[in-house]
Amino acid sequence: MSDGAKGFYQVFEVFSRKNDTAPLQHQFSLLAPNHEIALVMAQENFMRREPVSDIWVVKRSDIRMMTEEEKTSLQRLDNKDYRTTKGYGYLKKKWRQYEQQMLDEKEIFSWKGEIRR
Amino acid sequence: MPVVTSFRRLSEEEKYERFMQRIEAGEKIEADDWMPEDYRMTLIKLIAMHAISEIMGALPEKEWVPKAPSLRRKLGIMAKVQDEMGHGQLLLRVAEDLMAPLGKTREEIMQDLFKGDLKFHNVFHMPAPTWADAGLIGWLVDGAAIITQTNMLDASYGPYARALKRICAEEVFHAQHGESIILALAEGTKEQKEMLQDALNRWWEALLMFFGPASSETTGASKQDITIKYRIRTKTNEQLRQDFFTKYVPRILALGLKLPDETMHFDEKQGKWIYKQPDWNKFKEIIRNNGPKSKERLRLRELSYYHNAWVREALSGQSAAV
Repeated sequence: MSDGAKGFYQVFEVFSRKNDTAPLQHQFSLLAPNHEIALVMAQENFMRREPVSDIWVVKRSDIRMMTEEEKTSLQRLDNKDYRTTKGYGYLKKKWRQYEQQMLDEKEIFSWKGEIRR
Repeated sequence: MPVVTSFRRLSEEEKYERFMQRIEAGEKIEADDWMPEDYRMTLIKLIAMHAISEIMGALPEKEWVPKAPSLRRKLGIMAKVQDEMGHGQLLLRVAEDLMAPLGKTREEIMQDLFKGDLKFHNVFHMPAPTWADAGLIGWLVDGAAIITQTNMLDASYGPYARALKRICAEEVFHAQHGESIILALAEGTKEQKEMLQDALNRWWEALLMFFGPASSETTGASKQDITIKYRIRTKTNEQLRQDFFTKYVPRILALGLKLPDETMHFDEKQGKWIYKQPDWNKFKEIIRNNGPKSKERLRLRELSYYHNAWVREALSGQSAAV
């Protein structure tokens, strides 16, 4: 290998968004000499068919990843009902007593349109 | 699993035990996680070989890009060849992250290929002299590859499983691309039908060899036991070959093609396909890079690597100080 080729490749992590409201999703990694070529290769390598509206490339060396040991602290205890709607499911029945409907996720997200009486 | 607060203080045996518990619970191992040495080495060998085979596998097909019989066929096969190179890129990344602690990079993978230390899949050492060969590669060689790869979709090594998920999604297109060429020929003129039968005759033995020998006694070495133990795959070579027959033999016969093996049949009692073994000595020669097209394709890969070296140098930044 010539000296020029040494240190040629760096690892980039590739992220993309399917459409403007979709979350950024990790695709995979690739090797490239710089950000510009990483971007071109990201499109060629991972976005040949699927719809895409934005691509990010990040040098892996700039990412702080979790270690195997740190990841063990991510395990959730199974007592988080008070944080989720699951813990409030009884409201549905309650509201029925008052002849009203519970404001659930479906109902609340429907408010982006016209609100009907 | 209990929370481990002092992972580094565990003994090697405890780490091994924890590792086995993790994979048996269906957890995925990541590149920087602790793993047994033979797990790492097995994965490197398997995935580097898989990666390089994707790239070498594009070579017999790319011969048919300029000679494709119509513009639509040309676009189709070009897209497929590009996919194969893309799969190679994905898998190389997976192998490289595993090799990083050993101080090895893509450069070493390429050099190992050129020296003959890193093998590429036996099926890609064969010639593809007609358009029917191009179709047959897409239909049956990719079909065999799909059988092998879907068997590892739930591999214990996370990055490989994720790469295979992407690859298998594209293989669905490859399978249909191959079927489309094959069906056109099977419904074509007498010459086209004969060309298709010739291609099947030519590829049959290579397709049997595709899955490797049933046991290590045949060729002296086989990684199937260790890959099953470590939950990289679930089925043996022979199970995969039988699966391939089950899926493809009825389709081959339905098209009016003849199997180049008169002894072949499904034995209801044993519940398996009976077939004539390929010449495993030939297989051994092929994987030593003594197949019909081994040298020529290696040389092509090597030349393109060195012809393009100036691009890597120009972009490396080190030559920017002019």
